[in-house]
Formats: sequence, structure tokens, C-alpha cells
Amino acid sequence: MSEQKIMGNPKTKTKPFSWSSVPVHAILVVYAVIVIYPMVWLLSNCLKNSTEVFTNPWMPTLTPHWDNFPRAWNQISIGTCFVNSVFVTAVTMFFILLIGSMAAYALARFVFKGREVLQTTFIGGMMFPVFLGIVPLFLMLAKLNLLDNYVGLITVYVAYSLPFTIFVLTGFFRTLPHELAEAGMIDGCSQFTVFWRIMMPIAKPGLIAAGIFNFFGIWNEYPLALVIINRKELYTLPLGIASLVMQQQYETDWGALFASLVIVMIPSLIVYLFFQRQITEGLTAGALKG
Amino acid sequence: MASVLLKDLTKTFKNVIAVNNMNLEIKDKEFLVLVGPSGCGKTTALRMVAGLEEATSGEIFISDRLVNDVSPKDRDIAMVFQNYALYPHMTVYDNMAFGLKLRKVPKDQIKSRVQDAANLLGLGELLERKPKQLSGGQRQRVALGRAIVREPKVFLMDEPLSNLDAKLRVQTRAELIKLHRRLGITTIYVTHDQVEAMTMGDRIVVMKDGLVQQVDSPMGLYNKPVNMFVAGFIGTPSMNFIDAKLVKTEGRYTVDAGSFKVMIPESKTGKDWDKYDGKAIVFGVRPEDIFDKAIAMVPPTVENTITALVDVIEPMGAIVTAYLTVGDHSLVATIDAETKMIEEKDMEFVLDMEKTHVFDKDTEQAIY
Repeated sequence: MSEQKIMGNPKTKTKPFSWSSVPVHAILVVYAVIVIYPMVWLLSNCLKNSTEVFTNPWMPTLTPHWDNFPRAWNQISIGTCFVNSVFVTAVTMFFILLIGSMAAYALARFVFKGREVLQTTFIGGMMFPVFLGIVPLFLMLAKLNLLDNYVGLITVYVAYSLPFTIFVLTGFFRTLPHELAEAGMIDGCSQFTVFWRIMMPIAKPGLIAAGIFNFFGIWNEYPLALVIINRKELYTLPLGIASLVMQQQYETDWGALFASLVIVMIPSLIVYLFFQRQITEGLTAGALKG
Repeated sequence: MASVLLKDLTKTFKNVIAVNNMNLEIKDKEFLVLVGPSGCGKTTALRMVAGLEEATSGEIFISDRLVNDVSPKDRDIAMVFQNYALYPHMTVYDNMAFGLKLRKVPKDQIKSRVQDAANLLGLGELLERKPKQLSGGQRQRVALGRAIVREPKVFLMDEPLSNLDAKLRVQTRAELIKLHRRLGITTIYVTHDQVEAMTMGDRIVVMKDGLVQQVDSPMGLYNKPVNMFVAGFIGTPSMNFIDAKLVKTEGRYTVDAGSFKVMIPESKTGKDWDKYDGKAIVFGVRPEDIFDKAIAMVPPTVENTITALVDVIEPMGAIVTAYLTVGDHSLVATIDAETKMIEEKDMEFVLDMEKTHVFDKDTEQAIY
């Protein structure tokens, strides 16, 4: 592994300064500030009380109000929402990756009648905006008795995420050498064992990439959850925060609100930081060339 | 062990016939090489034996068992792929043990078989490594090891040496031959490299456009090619082909190429030759059967000597490759390095007429 890491980062030397790189770096610095500053601002405000948010909006506070976090977690039940979100996201991701990888593998590996049609249909699903489907979806879920429960919400999430997942994973599975599957078949695998024991482990970088994109989509998803979920105890984080704003109306607890936004943000950051390393490692390891 | 029998084997992809009515018997313990240019159907034939490709028609028998409808894993074969197809997420040990694990072989037995194969192939130190940490030659040996531990009835090898550098290829070639002698497993080996075919095969099958051209021992192919394709494919540099006319005078045949005439020895001519009297033929002579007259291995006579202009000389060490021109014809000759040939000079060369070939110009078949 250590050998691999050395090979993965061959250029660690600092490049000599050149004037031509100044404009590029200037643009990158501006871009970085635009991206990073809101987060810094959020972090600095999550420790202020409501008055200070207005009196001193731009600078960090000197008297941090750590109690914003427990208040956000308990009083406005962000804690419950957090647990709900983790549950919904985890179950959805499990099914998306399971079903998506199987479908993608079949599309990438096998030639069968109707494959093109099927693939086009999946891609077509990606073009379809969620909002257009909300009313018919609501009616359908109502008829199926799936409104206001997680089975309905997760089913809809999985269905909406599959086209993209299948699209990404099909491309990925196509890059894997088919000889690996054939070697497996000769070694004694069934089609399923080839998929499960050979292709899935190799496809890890692809699964992680698809997983990350889906994670962000589902973790932050608001409109579908708003339509499908009614009961407060089933609220996911985006619903919880939205309801927090509405509940408080004229006397918003800004400190707690910012604290809950930080709570929402932390898992996304962790997921990204942790798996980003895995993606890069997976892709640079040359795992595909047997 | 096992024999393999292919009966009227045909494979078509849409409108392309990849393998056309192939009939072949591979004997027990034989090392059979399928050779031919790319697209000749050799790999398709191998893949049909492996069960990775379904035959359009015809039958495949392994040890007298019809296997057309048997899945690859139940054919008792092992295959080495061109790019090795090692499982990148498994260690060398697991790569080799994988097939045995799937077949529920007891753990201690797996361990001893993998260890034996690893020792045989010099992989003992590498068992805990992943494929990406191995060199090309080591990966190739792991792929072989994976095939060996299964103790299959038949080995199938699809250009296993083509990803190795030239030196390693020659070395591994010899190792493969040794390994085959030691294990005695029936082997079908696919390559596009005629040198590999000649050096490794007990018998060689030369294929072109899905058709088997000739099945013979390496020397059989070299000495008695049945057609121009085989004659040109086997041997480096390849055989010289010269358009000529066959003329019978006083019971003997002369090859009249316009700019030179040579006489075919009586021992080579047969009954069929009469019908080619006065007809256009193709005269074939291998570069190694052309000698500098001054140091010729065959006695020079008027019947076997030609005068040619030496265009270019390429010294190769023990021999030199000479590019010659005789009238409109170009010839390549490999001549002992002791030659005193000089470029851009006319010199006399002697052909070993016993080893020359005559082909029908239309059918390209050899005339016996």
C-alpha cells in the first residue's frame, strides 16, 4: 500500500513561481472564498444568540453560546429528525446501490432483447423533473396507502435515484474487463457469484461515487418529503428545519437555527471527506488492470 | 487426462463466419497450438471449447463427453487469459485458491495445492501480494498457477505471453514447455506468433478466415506447407514467392521466372505436374535456402544458380539478411555472416532446389 501511495503522488515538489499562474490562482482564490465563506459565516453565527446575529453579523462572537446546540437538538426535536434522516438515507442508499448495481451490471454485461429500450428508459427517467411527478405521485401513494410512512418515502426516493445510479454504474461496469467475469465462470462461479464476489468488490470506487451523489441528494431532499410525510415524528432534517422557521414565525431563535444547520451539514462533510479519499485511492490504484 | 474433439464446429456472429466447419482431434497430453493472423477464428475456437462462446453448430467433446450444453465451470478446464484476468481485489493466494474454494475443496488441501503450485512457479514469496504489486511476468505466473491448482483435464491458453517483453517471453516460453512436460495436461494454446507456435506445439493448426488451413507438426508445416498462406505464415523472414511459368523439357521441369530459370529436381515432381506444363505458377523459396555461391552448402550447378543484385545487407550477427533483386523480382535471403557480399553488386546465389515449393497460381495450393 505504501508503495502505491508513492506511485499515486509522484509530484510532490513545489513548482517554481511563474507570473503566468497568477491570474489562474487569483480566480481560484476568489472561487474558494465564495464557496468557503458561507460555511465559515454559518459556523461563526451558530454560536451567537439571536440579538448578536443582527448586531454583529459578520464577525465571530467573543462569547460563544454553546447552548444553541443542545437547544436545537432537544427543544425543537432536531435530534429526532436527525435519527429519521439517518434511517431514511441509509435504507434508501442500501436499496439504490443494491438494485442499481444489479441493473447496471446486467445492462453493461449482457446483450438481450430490449436492452437498448430499457437503457433509454432509465436515462429518460433522469430527464424527468421531480416536481412534475409530485401530484400524480401523491395520488398514487394515497391509493396505495403509502402516504405518511417511510415505505412510501423510501420507495419514491429509490425510484427517483435509480436512473442516475444505473447510468453511472453502467458506465463503470463497462470499463471492467470482461475477462474477469469469464475467469470467474471458468473458476466455478455462477453469474450471481461473478457479480457478487468479483465485480462488486472491484466496482467499489464506482459504488462509492454513486453513493456519495445519492447521499447528498437524499440527505438534503425537501419537496418529496414535504408532500409524503405529515406526522411530525417522521420528519427528516430538511422538514424539521423548515418547520422550525415556520413555527417560530416572528421570534426566530436564530442561534438554534444556525446550530441545526451545522448539525445537518456535519454528516455531509464527514461523508465527503472520508469517501473522497477512498474514491481517489480506488481510481489511482489501477485496480482495473488485472 | 483428456482428449478434445471438435466436430464440424462453426460459429457465426451476425453475418460473419468466425469459425467455419472446424474438425480437430486433440490427443491426450498433447500441446496443440492454434495459430493465425488476428481475426482468423483461433480465439473464438478456444472460447467455444471453454464454453465462453456458444457454438452455432457442431459438437465439442472433452474426454468423449459432449459438452456443448455444459457450463464452463463444469467442463473441467482452466484458462489463462491474454491480460491474465487476475482478480485485483484478491491476494495471489486467494486468486489461486478461489476456484478451489468455490468447489468446496477442504481448506488444508487448498493450502497444500496452492503452496505446491506457488513453489513450482517460484511464487512462494508473493502469496500475500495483490496483483497490482506484481510485475508482468509474475502476474503471468499467477495466472498459470490459478490454472494449475485446479488440476483440470484441459488447459486453454489465449496468447498468454503477448503482454510480456521480448526477453521474458522467450524465457517463459521455455518454462511453459517444461511445465507441460511435467504435468502432462492436454493443452490448447492460441497465438498469432508463429515462432511461439513452432517452438511450443506438438502439433500446430494454422487458421485463416475461420478455416483450418493445415494441421501438422512444426517441421511438417515448415517442410510441406499445403498452400501459399501456410508457406508464407510459417518461417521468418517469410518465404519468397515469385510469379513464374512451369516448363517441361525432356521430362524435367524448369521454373521460368523470366529473369532467371531454375530446374526442379526429379525427386520433387509427381503425376500432377503434367497439367501445369506451360502454366503460370508461383515459385516459393525460403530465405534460408538461398546461399552465397562462394560459401554455398549445396553444390552449385547451372540448374540452381541465379544472378542477383544485392540491394541492402542487414548484419544480424550469425547471419546477414540480404535484399536481392533479380529482374522484376525481389528476394530476401538469410546468408551466413562469412559472406563477402557487397551492396549494389551483382552476385551469384545458389538455391537449395530440394527445399523449394511450387504453388498453383489460382488456387494457391501446393503442387506435389
